[in-house]
Amino acid sequence: MSLRLKLLLLGLATLVLPWGGCRYAREMESALRDGEVESLRGVSQTVAASLQGRTDLLYRQAPPRPPAAGAESGADAPPASGTDKPTDPDDFVRGPYDLEPMTLSAAPLLDGYAADWPGDAGDGLSFGRDEKHKFSIRTGVRERMLYVLLNVHDEHPVFDAGGNNTLTTATFGDRVWLGFEDARGEQQRVLLTASGPGPIIARRIVTGEYGQRSVVLEPRIRGGWQPGGDGYRVEARVPLSMLGGGFGVLVDDRDVRGGAPVSYGTLRSDDLHTMGRLILASPELEGYLTQFLQAGTKLTVTTPAGRPLAHADALGQSANLGSGPPLLARLYRRFVDRPGERQVIQARAPIYDRDHRVVIGELEVTQTADRWIRLRDRALTRMLNLTLFTSLVVVTAMLTFAAWLALRLSRLRRASESALTRSGLVTSFPETQARDELGDVARSFATLLSRLDEYTQYLRTLAGKLAHEIRTPLTIVRSSLDNLESEQVSPAARAYLDRARQGSERLGAILLAMGAASRVEESIGGAERLRFDLVAVLASAVAAYRGAFADRTFLFESAAGALTLEGSPDLIVQMLDKLIDNAVDFSPTGSAITVRLRAEADATIIEVDNPGPPLPPHIEGRLFESLWQSRAGTDRRPHFGLGLYIVRLIAAFHGGEATAANLPDGGGARIAVRLPR
Amino acid sequence: MKRLVAIVEDEPAIRENYAAAFAREGYAVRTFANRLEAMAAFAVRLPELAVIDISLQDEPEGGFELCRQLRALSQELPIIFLTARDSELDAVSGLRLGADDFLTKDLSLPHLIARVNALFRRVEALRRPNVPTDVLRRGPLTLDTERMQAQWDGHVVLLSLTEFWIVHALARHPGHVRNRQQLMDAASVVLDDNTITSQVKRIRRKFQAIDANFDALQTVYGMGYRWVE
Repeated sequence: MSLRLKLLLLGLATLVLPWGGCRYAREMESALRDGEVESLRGVSQTVAASLQGRTDLLYRQAPPRPPAAGAESGADAPPASGTDKPTDPDDFVRGPYDLEPMTLSAAPLLDGYAADWPGDAGDGLSFGRDEKHKFSIRTGVRERMLYVLLNVHDEHPVFDAGGNNTLTTATFGDRVWLGFEDARGEQQRVLLTASGPGPIIARRIVTGEYGQRSVVLEPRIRGGWQPGGDGYRVEARVPLSMLGGGFGVLVDDRDVRGGAPVSYGTLRSDDLHTMGRLILASPELEGYLTQFLQAGTKLTVTTPAGRPLAHADALGQSANLGSGPPLLARLYRRFVDRPGERQVIQARAPIYDRDHRVVIGELEVTQTADRWIRLRDRALTRMLNLTLFTSLVVVTAMLTFAAWLALRLSRLRRASESALTRSGLVTSFPETQARDELGDVARSFATLLSRLDEYTQYLRTLAGKLAHEIRTPLTIVRSSLDNLESEQVSPAARAYLDRARQGSERLGAILLAMGAASRVEESIGGAERLRFDLVAVLASAVAAYRGAFADRTFLFESAAGALTLEGSPDLIVQMLDKLIDNAVDFSPTGSAITVRLRAEADATIIEVDNPGPPLPPHIEGRLFESLWQSRAGTDRRPHFGLGLYIVRLIAAFHGGEATAANLPDGGGARIAVRLPR
Repeated sequence: MKRLVAIVEDEPAIRENYAAAFAREGYAVRTFANRLEAMAAFAVRLPELAVIDISLQDEPEGGFELCRQLRALSQELPIIFLTARDSELDAVSGLRLGADDFLTKDLSLPHLIARVNALFRRVEALRRPNVPTDVLRRGPLTLDTERMQAQWDGHVVLLSLTEFWIVHALARHPGHVRNRQQLMDAASVVLDDNTITSQVKRIRRKFQAIDANFDALQTVYGMGYRWVE
């Protein structure tokens, strides 16, 4: 794992900040929601308080009185002022004949079929005398119309006979009475008849000035009649404008046309007076609620039982006046929103009667989540922007730092590697000026390398110094031997004398070899540069080697007829001497050594190929170091590993360098000296 | 009367060995271990030849100083540096101070004696009236083997003994290549290749000081040198 990757991971750890931000945004959101709910509760309580005791506002009619208290009711509750009176708390309990119309989402077709009514056929209230005489009734409100669906149980349904004389008893079949209180509080009766499946005919009973009764068609009430189920169904529509508080239905069940009816229902069968009422909001309630309405809220008033009476709805109106949330915020939302979470809040408050004892209704305030979600989004966006930016900055900084560190480290590595392989004096080691730990490492390295350099330098000069120091005792030995030659020596002693002389000669040869490198360095220091023909010099030298090494063949290949080089021909020849020495030492007797001169665009290359063992691995760089050798065996000539070091010195004097490689066929070695022009 | 040879050498064993060799050859020998000792004696009586080591006891360059003082006392006195130091710089310094030869201690005693004899011959020849007896002429080059003196175009070229013998070996057979070993033998010295190379360079420079176009001493790379007329 590289340093860069490690620091990148470290930088990525700062992503915990946006994560924490998201967490915090959620916390904040629920706090906000709690706050909103609290304030919504306050709103709902305020509105509910304003509605306290306003039964007239809540309900369409004065509370109906039980039939026994009918006269009292008539005196106490004139339609305009009755609601101002204190009301009996018991009135708000739903009476047995009260109808609570549901709110219909669509207007049913007035065809007598129940299919377009919500809910099952079994829904609704059932009224009747016995098992054979009963009906169920469902009521609904839609667009200021009251819809009534009657499901009458009748084993013998009988239609009216057609005809205009509706008051002729003989034509009577099954009939349905609607009785209601009109807006002025007067009892109205409407007769619904049908002479066959299909539309119904509605007639209102009109009582004349002198009490005489007549029947008029009532076109505002429409409906349909259809046999079905275990009897027939009647569907009717009455405009709410016709209706006051009380409402009831009476069924005249006749088994034969014109027979005596069995009457039952929610109207008194004697005078068709209403016994129950329609629990409906007063027309003013909605308007009253609207004044409390704010964008994004919905106010609903329900009966204590929870059935909606009226509502004012502005939920769809977005409280957000600006454009939608920005893209970034929408993206961020994904991290925070919990799926399936409700985006609205609600608060309920009971509406009490004047004495604050009885609940007459309930107010429900609904508010969309827009407001706090927007608040949350704004905070979230800011926080995420900030933390993500921080993360980005940190990661970038870490990456930059890592890259910089890696650059410094690799510079250090390169410098130390080249310092080791080239073994040259390191004059400017990088990073040693740095004040940090890397600078310490670099300084240690530089110190180490300079120590190494001093040591190498010492080793290099050691041979020369040693040669010098040994020269004096050797001179003593030699001059003593020379003097001994002049003395009378017995033949037996002569042999020892000769051996001593041979030994001293060899010692002398060793001294010469040991001092070779320092002498070459010295002559390089004083060498003159001149322009000469390298081809002629090499050809001449190779010719000399043919004489000197009779047991090797020498090939000279030159790319050009003449190649001018600026430098010291003496040194070049001396370098070639060392190369040939080396080649001869490592090649078998009788083999051919090739000296090749190649010209490149910017350099001249001298190559010496010799057959023989390949180079040992991993020694390319060290081959040209001082006092280093890979000779396996020993021969009579002294070797100090200076030959190729001298080659390197002379190549360096000419601005070039020496390299060693195995021959392509692996059958030997090639040493190449590259001299720039 | 025996010729007096002074040996200034701080290493007693070498000093005594040299002294013994010179005595055997019939020279009178006086030996000194340091410069002050030697100068005190030379002030009383000059030797006829001095063999001097460069480093003398506590004076690393004492031999050079001694040579300078000795040359101040006498212009003709043959002086030979015999030292363990073989650097080019030392050789040049020594010869510039007026030494007649600069030898390393690798030299064998018989060779040293031969050189001393040759130097005495030269001194004698120089003292005799100017009648060249053994002269080698090669174009502008004149080699007086008796006085061991070289002339180019009539100008004297001041060569050390070793240098003279190298030129002599090459000029005797012009056009023939002499390798380094042959030159060492001719000059009775044991030197390595680099030293021969610098000797030849020094010779060339001396001739070029007289004639800038001097080109008679040529290098045959890988083989050696030859004299071209």
